[in-house]
Amino acid sequence: MINPAHESTDVTRELFQNFSTGGIVLFYIFGFLALGVFAWGCYLQIRKYRRGVADGSWADLARRTRDLVVTMLSHRTLRRRDAAAGRAHAAIFFGFALLFIGTSLIFIDYDILGPLGLSFWHGEFYLLFQLTLDLAGLALIVGLVYMMVRRGWIKPPKLDYRRPDREPGEPDADRSRYRIEDWAFLWALVIIGITGFLLNGSRKLWLIDDPLVWDYRWWTPVGTSIAYMLSGLGLSSEGAGVLRTATWWFHGVLALAFIAVIPFTKVKHIFTAGGSLMLRDPLAAQRLPKLPEDGEDAGYGKITDFSRKHLLHLDACTKCGRCHEACPANASGLPLSPRDLILTLREFAHEQIEGRTVDADGLVVHGDGVNQVRAETLWSCRTCMACVEICPVAIEHVPIIVQMRRWLVEQGEMDPMLQGTLQKIQKRGNSFGEAKRKRGKWADELDFPVKDARKEPVDFLWFVGDYASFDPRNQSVTRDFARILEHAGVDFGILYDAEQNAGNDVRRVGEEGLYELLAENNIASLDGAEFERVVTTDPHSLNTIRNEYPQFGGQYQIYHYTSLLKQLIEQGRLQFSKQLGYRVTYHDPCHLGRFNRGFDAPRFVMQALGLDLVEMERSGENSFCCGAGGGRIWMADPPGKEKPAENRMHEAARIEGLEVFVVACPKDLTMFEDALKTAGYEGQFVVKELNELVAEALALDKQATEAA
Amino acid sequence: MKILVPVKQAALVEDDFELRDDGRDVDPDFVDLQLNEWDDYSLETALQLKESHDGIEVVAVTVGDDDAEDALRTCLAKGADRAIRVWDDELGDADPVVIARVLAAVAQRETPDLVLAGTQSSDLGFSATGVAMATFMGWPHAAVVVALDYSPGAATATVERELEGGLRQRLEIDCPAVLTIQLGINTPRYASLRGIKQARSLPVEELTPEDLGLEAQDVGEQACGARVRKMYLPEKGQAEMIEGTPAQQAERIAAIVKEVMGG
Repeated sequence: MINPAHESTDVTRELFQNFSTGGIVLFYIFGFLALGVFAWGCYLQIRKYRRGVADGSWADLARRTRDLVVTMLSHRTLRRRDAAAGRAHAAIFFGFALLFIGTSLIFIDYDILGPLGLSFWHGEFYLLFQLTLDLAGLALIVGLVYMMVRRGWIKPPKLDYRRPDREPGEPDADRSRYRIEDWAFLWALVIIGITGFLLNGSRKLWLIDDPLVWDYRWWTPVGTSIAYMLSGLGLSSEGAGVLRTATWWFHGVLALAFIAVIPFTKVKHIFTAGGSLMLRDPLAAQRLPKLPEDGEDAGYGKITDFSRKHLLHLDACTKCGRCHEACPANASGLPLSPRDLILTLREFAHEQIEGRTVDADGLVVHGDGVNQVRAETLWSCRTCMACVEICPVAIEHVPIIVQMRRWLVEQGEMDPMLQGTLQKIQKRGNSFGEAKRKRGKWADELDFPVKDARKEPVDFLWFVGDYASFDPRNQSVTRDFARILEHAGVDFGILYDAEQNAGNDVRRVGEEGLYELLAENNIASLDGAEFERVVTTDPHSLNTIRNEYPQFGGQYQIYHYTSLLKQLIEQGRLQFSKQLGYRVTYHDPCHLGRFNRGFDAPRFVMQALGLDLVEMERSGENSFCCGAGGGRIWMADPPGKEKPAENRMHEAARIEGLEVFVVACPKDLTMFEDALKTAGYEGQFVVKELNELVAEALALDKQATEAA
Repeated sequence: MKILVPVKQAALVEDDFELRDDGRDVDPDFVDLQLNEWDDYSLETALQLKESHDGIEVVAVTVGDDDAEDALRTCLAKGADRAIRVWDDELGDADPVVIARVLAAVAQRETPDLVLAGTQSSDLGFSATGVAMATFMGWPHAAVVVALDYSPGAATATVERELEGGLRQRLEIDCPAVLTIQLGINTPRYASLRGIKQARSLPVEELTPEDLGLEAQDVGEQACGARVRKMYLPEKGQAEMIEGTPAQQAERIAAIVKEVMGG
């Protein structure tokens, strides 16, 4: 590597070569100025976050740090559903990180270790350093150029900043400032990168006669290519020296300015996105926060009610648009985009609590004013978790929305239909307003008794849930599942009148007081019964019992019925006399799939039934919500707009020869059977609950027992 | 100023129910209780006035037993300032006029500037209480009010009443007055369970008719002008499908006419 004629310590780069002392001092002034502005900006941001409520998100720091490092290095979350952007970001990220580390090493060598005589930046290390940074700069520029092409020519719809929650012309509808910032960011970085190479090239040409420089030129292939290019353009060595000095200053001052503006611009995502990822709660949407025992007010009304972590989330958003694209409310033309909600709140926080003093009267985030969030926006959400799941920087849109809904509920502001349903639940413990004693009525039509788990011990306690108990169409499926369990010899029972609405959706509506009551009542009923495990056909009940009842002291081992069916098939307790052979597709329910990772069991069962499963474009964790979640099943969707369930039917109908659209959730059955008709596919294919297909394959004669 | 809102804890009967043994009411096992639907709207009218003007006190009052307290808690949760419950077992069979007499006595004590009652109750539907109350107090009244324009302290209020056939009647009414409020005048707010729980710590003033200066003969059974004799479901099956040739059908119809007309 090193020419034996050269002293290893001489193979390095002389810093500030040919600089006057005044020049060096000026540069250091710029440097400290930039760092000062940067530090001041960081202070402003941290002061803003500290105006929120501390919530203990920092616990378990070691695991969180590990999580962050793995996520950052793998770029796992950035590659999802946009691999090209993920790769380009990786190029920029690693390029920038290496250049930053390199610059820091030079600083350490020159300003700290050098004066102590411990300099290491020379010789072989120096040459490898040169090569690494040269390639890092190339990666940075290539990544940035791709991002420019993406914004300028590819223009993916998710990067369109048009807001569904504002009409054009409203004072806060215009987001063109963001577009300017995006381009300024890209151009600033790309110019820093290009001038870096120009600086390297001009320096090489200037020092062409110095063998300590020129002999080792190919360790910076890109920079040296520039040197040859400049020479080819007729630039002399002396001219290159002048160019070098000019570029040096331009590059240096621009880079310092870039550092200075980090806390004030989108560049801050370098820190905020990292911080957000570090505070990531893997169960953010599945397990909503309890209200503090002594709290006067519920939920987020003022910006200062937000947790510090959620305030940080507002600044972590990079407007990548993945949530915007995944959101079923946005797809249906409703006035909600998770991205725009976060950005609205960001602007609000910036306006109201970033200053030196805080005006206590201007803190309410709800309303029709500039950068306030409208109630209709919050009520549009189906809490399907598509946004939380895909967000590359772990923003918790759903918990923020539910916290804001809690405040609306406390103010009594909600859709009259929803109000009626909540009152029914308050009075009768179910959303149908039926008498409690009717909860177990569906079992009357079976030709065997269903055990009363309040009176005798059972192996499986079946938590039936409202829709499966009271909705006539679902009752038929409920009886199918009972017959399947009976056929397989499973010892099971239900709670009859003692079961109430599990509360999953009541909680997601934001009616936390009612949720607490329902959870406490159900836990008391469950604790009064003797059983080994809980099973349910309802993914919503599954989610809250599994993830949220522990907050109230209820710890149960609970399975979705698809998992139980899988076990029964594996144990040979369910054997199918015929293979069904239908061409089907399967809709992953949000609360089973995304929420509880129950992707495999239903597919295993479908395979065992001999079904020809063709997946839709959006399946698994990218499943598209039926539109019923978050209490939306208790509100009417606006007429004249395509409902999420209809959107889904169109997607399914694109599968050639589709016979059955399979669901594994009572609400899905209701929503999709309806949408099948309204979307115009009645007669083309049918919607069925997986239980119905299992019963068919077992040749369980429904007619005989139901007619009896 | 003060607005008095008389409310009722109304019965919500299940789809399949049984009658009480004495046949005069529904078996309480098949009944849930909740704030009368119309009172949701009258309370909301009062609360909206309170929120748009300074210095308005909203007082909810009910005549009812312990079970009726929940209705008042709901009112407090929504934002009423005070709540009064009047009860004595003597009132068990009270008709709307007796209830109105008690409420009028409360009004005499509270001296409100406006009384906002519901047009009717969702269970018994007499539509009488508010109107009778105005009569006892000698105040003007307007029933089935669907719009109200009133500024605190004003000598009159402008109200719109809903008439049959989609007609509206606008009238100017001297204040103080009793208005009975119709559904749809506004969108009532929701009382969250947390709010109701928090309202449990607020006081509910409990009074007897005696405290209000009413004698036993004013409120007891003998004071009632109407007594419930029986509650029942009318028999179904009054229709008959007449079949056969036109001549046979005509013959059957003639027989029915004779039978019904009594010969």
